[in-house]
Amino acid sequence: MSAIQTFNLSKNYRPGAFKKKNIVALDKVSLDVREGEIFGLLGPNGAGKTTFVKLILSIVRPSDGSATVLGHPLGALAIREQSGYLPENHRYPGFLTAFETLMFFGRLSGLASGDLKSKAASLLELVGLSQWAKVRTKRFSKGMLQRLGLAQALVNDPRLLFLDEPTDGVDPIGRKEIRDILVQLKSRGTTIFLNSHLLSEVELVCDRVVILHKGKVLKTATMAELTTSQPIYEIQLEAPPPADLLQELAARTYDVTPRGSALVARVRDMAQLNAIIDILRARGLTIGTVTQQKTSLEDSFITLIQGGASE
Amino acid sequence: MFRFTISEAVRKGTLIFYAAIATLIMVFFAIGISRPGDTPGMITFFGMPMPSPPGHQFDVVQFIIVTLHRQSVFWIVVFGVFGTAGLIPSLLEKGTAELFLSKPLSRLHLMLARAAGAVGGIALNIVYFTAGIWLVFGLKLGVWHAGLLLSSLALAYTFWCYFSVVTFVALITRSTGFTVMLALSYTIISWGLELRERGLYVLWDNVVYQRVLDGLYYLLPQLNAMLSNSSLIVGTIPFTHETAQFTIMPFVYSLGSSVLLYAGSIWYFSRQDY
Repeated sequence: MSAIQTFNLSKNYRPGAFKKKNIVALDKVSLDVREGEIFGLLGPNGAGKTTFVKLILSIVRPSDGSATVLGHPLGALAIREQSGYLPENHRYPGFLTAFETLMFFGRLSGLASGDLKSKAASLLELVGLSQWAKVRTKRFSKGMLQRLGLAQALVNDPRLLFLDEPTDGVDPIGRKEIRDILVQLKSRGTTIFLNSHLLSEVELVCDRVVILHKGKVLKTATMAELTTSQPIYEIQLEAPPPADLLQELAARTYDVTPRGSALVARVRDMAQLNAIIDILRARGLTIGTVTQQKTSLEDSFITLIQGGASE
Repeated sequence: MFRFTISEAVRKGTLIFYAAIATLIMVFFAIGISRPGDTPGMITFFGMPMPSPPGHQFDVVQFIIVTLHRQSVFWIVVFGVFGTAGLIPSLLEKGTAELFLSKPLSRLHLMLARAAGAVGGIALNIVYFTAGIWLVFGLKLGVWHAGLLLSSLALAYTFWCYFSVVTFVALITRSTGFTVMLALSYTIISWGLELRERGLYVLWDNVVYQRVLDGLYYLLPQLNAMLSNSSLIVGTIPFTHETAQFTIMPFVYSLGSSVLLYAGSIWYFSRQDY
């Protein structure tokens, strides 16, 4: 079942009251996010990622197109009842403590005060802020505010969670903890919509991603599709390969190039790889490792964006 | 949201600051004013007798209460604007608006609760101040002036009407500074429109211009007239032989214009992207 389905969703902004030319923030975006998956929204700055989330939550109004979210049409209050949102560069009232912040936003989400107290305490525990519960948020660091933001987004046990740069300003250990929380939420059936510039992080947690560029969808794919393995192997040797070895391999029409003390072999099949290894073994060379090369999400992302930019 | 807004005003110190000023005035009168037992009708202020002007016999207490009220109402409005003008723009700041608008609340609910919180906070201060003065004069002089208590309701209502202008300006400008400036300018505009027949009419002898001024007077909350009439509930200054009589009409006209302004603000807010 789909958590979010959009049909040609578009958003144009007027840059000023007296300027006629519109800025296209989103251009006919059609997406299908399935329930229970972690879905990544990638794109360079100004691609329309935040605008897309704001459209889904009715913080901005669409210029064209339609969408259904958790079975409700765009604009329905029920969408926000079942959603949690951590905006980018969020600002919490500095005069509230962490605990009061969760109580306040929990009440705004329609929760009763009685249930909220234990909920707020357990969420602060989850994001590692228990010791800071009674401290005013104006004293919090960026990383602590991000953790509090995540707790705030989870206060109503959302079915659909929108996170905009959730690990911005968070230290590496904190990032790992946030990733673990996301995986835990996914196992409970929460659909997670993740906007992030940190592609390595997206690669670690997302099931599928969409790449946006200048408001348009460039590609929607599973993580496996974007990080495919290539028929290229790096064979690590103990010492740099001798020149006559390279000549022998070239004479046998193998596509092999040296890289330091390793050989990079582009092969047709496993038989060809084994044939190359046999030659190395016959010469008495010690092989340390044989590693297949993969296209990283970053490689795919850059290739797609550069391709999109040249169109 | 209503409770949050009042709590925000309290924790930022605004309401506490105003309550402190009101308390100082009350204490000043509580210490200073007294009625010596040996001379009937005599009032002293820090030991100094307060005589009637030569040739006039009037109630000195009434004079003090009305004068104090008239001097206070303007400052109540000015302080009220300074204290509340930032509440709407702070809600619309980038990073804050998204948090509030992503919650399952309609924009109508959000805006009304915010405005009610702002007006509620100032109304609490008005009631505290007028009830305090009422108590001081009652306990020290035995004068229990019911008009003072009634005027607090009129003043709170006046501020509610005035806040419709503040809300509208705050939504359009999204800036606390501009909101304060334009809201304070409105006190002058309101005064100019009320006295238009003796002032603005004279600038240009043109019927259309004069009818436009008339229209604006009835279309916008009549702040100046409401403040004057709030003081007339308390009474008139005795020896000036004032002819002005309390009228409810500015309050009635302003109800319509304030409702229109609040409705316009909500309509505008519901159509904006944040």
